[in-house]
Order: sequence, then structure tokens, then C-alpha cells
Amino acid sequence: MASAIPTFTKIGKVIRLNKHGCTNRPFYHIVVQKTRDNFDGPVIEQVGSYDAMPNSQHEKLVAVNFERVQYWLAQGAGMSNPVAQLLGLSGFLPNHPQTLIQSWKNRREPPRERKLQPIKGIAPPLDNPKI
Amino acid sequence: MFARSSSRIFNVINISCIQSRSARAWVRKPLGSPMAKSKMFRIAPKKFIPADEKAEVKRLYDNYFHQMKSLRHYFFEQSLEQAESGEVAQMKHRLEEEEHIRLMEENRLENEKTAKLREEKLKIQAEKTRENILASLINKEEETRQYEIQIEAFLEKQKATPFIQAENIEKAIEEALANPVDFNFAIDLDGYVYRGRETAIEKIPEEERERLRSN
Repeated sequence: MASAIPTFTKIGKVIRLNKHGCTNRPFYHIVVQKTRDNFDGPVIEQVGSYDAMPNSQHEKLVAVNFERVQYWLAQGAGMSNPVAQLLGLSGFLPNHPQTLIQSWKNRREPPRERKLQPIKGIAPPLDNPKI
Repeated sequence: MFARSSSRIFNVINISCIQSRSARAWVRKPLGSPMAKSKMFRIAPKKFIPADEKAEVKRLYDNYFHQMKSLRHYFFEQSLEQAESGEVAQMKHRLEEEEHIRLMEENRLENEKTAKLREEKLKIQAEKTRENILASLINKEEETRQYEIQIEAFLEKQKATPFIQAENIEKAIEEALANPVDFNFAIDLDGYVYRGRETAIEKIPEEERERLRSN
């Protein structure tokens, strides 16, 4: 346990989502930043991207540089919840509890009214539009 | 109602020195402002979560944090190992070795150069000191010789002076009594000596006149 003490001191850096894109079209950069900086402030390193809008194949594309993420976690960087969830879904980290909680809530509650129609393509349309 | 400048004080932490075009972040409602009418009698709804669900959530989170902690440990240890044995570390090590060897070589050459210069200087110095010593020895010899000559001369002089020995003492006393020496005399501006009671040089006959010469 003695060798691991350095990892627990906060180094003031965090891996989180920075929203870019434009109106009605969000696009997130997965980014390592100092905790104090704004989302449009200086960024230490970009470590991936997350497209929140599903594409024509009903996929939400996520790109992650796992080597760099591992490096920053070894240095003691924090992670925001969404990033932790994405990394859990990808298999790099254990599944975040929030994913599981959200999934059983989705199964419980009725589906919500949606304005936009799902685009028909190769993948079958989602039957629970909450996801 | 509330001037932008006054509420700006509370947003100081959100100001970054880099110009940003985004909207200024709202930190909090100004401290002196009253409660809004819509919020006066509002009771915030409290979510009810059943006990078993709470327990499940707690279990999930505890497991997750435990796993994350151990993963961070593991990543940290991996990073240390990599730092020792990774490619970058090896290259760094190799470069450092080369640098070290190069610098040692440079140092050796420099030392040799300076050693040569030093040797030459020392040679010249040794030459000089040898000459100095020789010169001083010669001087010393010369001095001793001179000194001896002087001593010889002095001794000669001393021997030549008529000392009164024990045998000669009576004879010397009789001689001294017979020939008294009178040092009382007067002298003229022209240098004529007056031993007696005469005060004019014309009164003394020519043969007995004494004159002291300044040159």
C-alpha cells in the first residue's frame, strides 16, 4: 500500500467531455484539462471524441486513446462521470454504476414522446428511444 | 436591478485570462437579493428511493470505487516499470552514457593540454630559479671575500696603532708628562690658527704661522 500513496493526491487535472459543435448539434471532445479551466480554455491533451448524435447506422461514435488515458490515470488525474461511463462501456474500465442504474430505470419507465423520427438504415431502429 | 458590475465580484473565480467568447457562467444569486415570488412557498420534492434499491446502489458504487482504486494502483505501478525499462528510458540511458563518455574524453584531452602548458611553465621557472640561486651564491661569495678583506684591513690598522702595552706604560706616562698637548686654539675667518695669546696674524713670524685649509 505504501508505494501507491502518490496516486491519491489530487494533481488538479481531469479527464472530461468538452462540448463543441454548434446549435442542435453537440459534439464532445474527451480531453485532459486542469480542473479550474473553462471548457473553452486551454487543454492539456485531447484523448478522444464522443459524437452524441447517432449516425445513419444508429451508432454513436466514440474514439479513445487508451494508452494516454492510462498514463493520465497513473499520474492521478480525475475523471468525470460521463467519461467514466464511456470507458466502462468500452471495456477499459469496469462498468460504471450509473450505466446499470440508468438501464434499469429505462426498463421501468414508459418511453418519452420524441419530435425527431429515427432514421431507417442497416441497424434496426431502437425500441427504447430513451437510450 | 442588480448592476452587472456589482454581481461581477462573485464571478471572479470563473474569469480566465484567455479571452473566451462563451456566455459568462452564473455562479450564484446576489447575497442581498430577496426570494423570488415563485419560490416563496415552494417545498422541494424529495425523491423516494426504496431501501433495497438504495442498498443495491450503495453496493454497486462501493464495488466500483474499490475496483477503480486498485486499477489506479496498477496503472501507477505499470508507469513506474515502464519508466525503468521502456524504450524511451533505454534510449535516454544510452544517450546519457554516450554523453558521459564524450565529456570524460573531452576532460582528459583538456587535462593533457593544461598539463603540457604547466610543464613548460615549470621548466622555465626552474631555469629561472636555478639562475637566481647561482647568482645569489656568487654574490654571497663575493660578499664574504670583501668582508674578509675589510677585516684584514681593519686588523692591520688596529695592529698598526701604537697601543700601550704593560711594559711601555711607564715610558708612555713619562712621555705624556713631558709633551703636554694643548687643544685650546682660536681660528680666523681666513683659516689662521692662534695657539697663544696673540690676536693679530702680523705679530706671529712667518715660519710659525698655521693655516687650516677647507679643501
